[in-house]
Amino acid sequence: MGRTAGEVNKNRERSYYDYSLLFLTLFLVCFGLIMIYSTSSYNALRKYGDAKHYFNRQALLSGLGILIMLFVSRMDYRLLFKKIPIIRFRTATVLYFVCILLQTYVIVFGEERYGAKRWLEIGPLSFQPSELTKIAVILFTAFIINLHRERLDKFTGFLRVSFFIAPLIGLVIVEDFSTGLVLVVVMVSMCFVASKKKAYFIISGLLILGLGVGFILLASFRSSRVLAWINVESDPLGYQILQGLYAIASGGVFGKGLGESMQKLGFIPESHNDMIFSVICEELGLFGAVSLILIFILLIWRIFVIAINAKDLYGGLIAAGILSHIAVQVLINIAVVTNSIPSTGIPLPFISYGGTSAVVLLIEIGIVLSISNQIKISRPM
Amino acid sequence: MNRNKTYNKKNIFIITCVILVVAFILITRLSYLMIFKSEEYGARAQALHERERAIKAERGKIIDRNGIEIAINKPVCTISVIHSQIKEPEKVIKILSDELGLSEDRVRKRVEKNSSIERIKSNVKKEDADRIREMDLKGVMIDEDYKRFYPYESLASKVIGFTGSDNQGIIGLEVKYDNILQGIDGTILTLTTAYGVEIENAAEGRIEPQSGNDLRISLDVNIQQYTEQIALKVMEAKSVNNVKIIVMNPQNGEIYAMVNAPEFNLNDPYKMIDEIESEYIDIDLTEQMESDILNNMWRNACISDTYEPGSAFKIITTASAFEENVVTVDDTFFCPGYKRVEDRIIRCHKAGGHGSQTFVEGIKNSCNPVFIEIGARVGVDKTYEYYEKFGLFNKTGIDLPGEANSIMHKKEIIKAVELATMSFGQSFQITPLQLMRSTSAIINGGYLVTPHLGVEVISKENNNVRKLNYDIKKDVVSKRTSDIMKDLLEQVVSDGTGRRAFLPGFQIGGKTATSEKLPRRSGKYIASFIGFAPANDPQVIALVLIDEPKGMYYGGVIAAPLIAELFDNVLPYLGVDAKEETQN
Repeated sequence: MGRTAGEVNKNRERSYYDYSLLFLTLFLVCFGLIMIYSTSSYNALRKYGDAKHYFNRQALLSGLGILIMLFVSRMDYRLLFKKIPIIRFRTATVLYFVCILLQTYVIVFGEERYGAKRWLEIGPLSFQPSELTKIAVILFTAFIINLHRERLDKFTGFLRVSFFIAPLIGLVIVEDFSTGLVLVVVMVSMCFVASKKKAYFIISGLLILGLGVGFILLASFRSSRVLAWINVESDPLGYQILQGLYAIASGGVFGKGLGESMQKLGFIPESHNDMIFSVICEELGLFGAVSLILIFILLIWRIFVIAINAKDLYGGLIAAGILSHIAVQVLINIAVVTNSIPSTGIPLPFISYGGTSAVVLLIEIGIVLSISNQIKISRPM
Repeated sequence: MNRNKTYNKKNIFIITCVILVVAFILITRLSYLMIFKSEEYGARAQALHERERAIKAERGKIIDRNGIEIAINKPVCTISVIHSQIKEPEKVIKILSDELGLSEDRVRKRVEKNSSIERIKSNVKKEDADRIREMDLKGVMIDEDYKRFYPYESLASKVIGFTGSDNQGIIGLEVKYDNILQGIDGTILTLTTAYGVEIENAAEGRIEPQSGNDLRISLDVNIQQYTEQIALKVMEAKSVNNVKIIVMNPQNGEIYAMVNAPEFNLNDPYKMIDEIESEYIDIDLTEQMESDILNNMWRNACISDTYEPGSAFKIITTASAFEENVVTVDDTFFCPGYKRVEDRIIRCHKAGGHGSQTFVEGIKNSCNPVFIEIGARVGVDKTYEYYEKFGLFNKTGIDLPGEANSIMHKKEIIKAVELATMSFGQSFQITPLQLMRSTSAIINGGYLVTPHLGVEVISKENNNVRKLNYDIKKDVVSKRTSDIMKDLLEQVVSDGTGRRAFLPGFQIGGKTATSEKLPRRSGKYIASFIGFAPANDPQVIALVLIDEPKGMYYGGVIAAPLIAELFDNVLPYLGVDAKEETQN
């Protein structure tokens, strides 16, 4: 896809639109819905007397998300950084403050589930502000970098960006360490992309790693997870992961067949959530699991192509941010499910159950499509 | 606005490469798990999902000597509901409460309870269960099982026994032969969810159950029924507490009938019989009391209760004396109505005394002084030697649980007075069956049999029949003594205290007994009679015990006629015909 040359004959130019990315996304959403139905139907029937309970909710929000995605993809992403006429603020800035407000609100008044305040109840729907914060972080980081790109060549420039983003991430990390971690990685990746010099990234990378390990060792909650990770077979906290491993391993090369998972029948709690990949392994085998990973890689590849062909740094940075966001979630999720790293609650993008997450991810893809739409390519004669 | 420069693109490429590398590592890790760990974890997961469910094996039948079924099985069903699978709860509640005759509230509570599986009713008749099954209600599960059923209800209840909820024997033959009757349960290996709910059509393995073996017993339903009728008749006529009758083949120890009237209903063993219930009608029974009463009701007194055998024991004393050659049939004795033993006066039952009499007359009169005399001639050591030979110190070894043993004096403390009372059957206790066994040895030519019920074990799998063997102790008494005893005891019936057992056309031998229950002078007696026929070649021996008869209580008066009545029917039934010449 090296044909971005915008300076070729205007008559031969047309707008590009990455249909491959669109269809990959639609495929993942549909596949996710199938797997949500497969994993949740038994528990939904038990709990709500309706096998499609989770499926229906997810399908509804995915549909909504797809509509928003298509709308966003036809918009010029650069509008996000233009001042909104009346209030004279940029969309990205507005989003930044809205997210800070929502995050503060959720910490104070949020609905507590699984021992953490992460949800806002709006009528029958519940909404996770931290998901929206992901977009805010990507957009606002891009905005801040763009104001003074050249400063990022020095470490102080990186600190400057961090300073602006810190409130957003800080509010997330209080209640949800793993999401906060994802946001840090996204922000750092974007800075890395924007920077000419890389030495300080390696230094600060090591620093962050050290801090992370320190944090893990200091906070008993985290370190008990580390213990569960090492002694997955005996530690009671390792139960869910061990059940996931059973599911993965009993899948074998070709799996038990769609819908045939045993582990989803109550052995893996909430198997439609973060652990959904283990059921995919059990039902579709190594073949299915690797295929899914390859589809994610293809998706990331498309975003990469769009990122490097983006017309401006805004496009490149946003695409890179979204790319790292999706990639980090996929990799952490699979790493957790395979017990490669200590357990932490990160959903598998497009597949795991979760309405806010699905809508936000689709909006992100919409933005990437919008970036692709601004690419001008020459019509081959 | 900044341009997307080459180094930016390069950086994005670096990030993408890092992602690819990590993805590759994870794929490797996944492959390791799914290929190399697959077997190990798969097996462990499998073990987590598998549940073994037992398929009940059918318990073996108990059949009488002629093959008539006494204890059989009826297919029954257990009906349960699986909450999560119920589609139409109202319909399920309606149908189950109607069909099973349960209150709607009770069914509703179970149906609406959010548990994995809830039992509604067990022991449902198969026809009823089949009707429910045909309605094909979602979430209603029907399991098949067997329930023990006794077609003759109370017949030989305390001998046959009954089974508990798991079809395990509780009393009687059912518990004694539990190992033989009980089959081997099969198993179905099924998969269940984490909540223990079975997954349909996921049965992985099935081991068929093996039915238990059938047991053929020596009991004869006809003799038992007839004997029970006799017992019930005398119970009513004499307002008696209970009547025990044992009918046995003295040649081999096979028991034809063992009656402990009143019997109870084996199909409803936990319900007190009317006779007992009326006693406690005004009493608020505690659980403990109720359980004691039931245990007592189930008691097989023929083998579990001991009593003083009284005059019937003179058979043993006589046989010992003849074996020792300390008496002949023609020896004469004098009875002044009592006998002085050391400083005691022991009275004869006839106040005026029997006067001068031969030994034959003495046994016909059941004269106590005669037996005190011959008992003394045998002496303590020899007496105990014979008791030992006649098996009176041991349980009979009958194949029933709960057999009691005799209660005897210690040999060292026996003085003349004790020996005197023992020779006419007092001051010690034995079980009715022990008396019967010893008597059988005396009249069958001298060998001690093991009384028993179990005859054959019939395997259902291959129709293989295994005969059960029992010990026989030979040479307990000589042939000569046995012949003399048969002759003497026949004379007791033809012309002595046992004459009410006389049956024209048959040679019947026997001995009466009237035992005063302890404590003495309570006016409570056990009237009994032990009889056998034909006297010259005994085919059947019977012992009747009437507990606490009202009014006339002599064994010769109330127990002996029962033997006549019994033998009148049993002998022809067993193929022993009346002889014409003895008719007049």
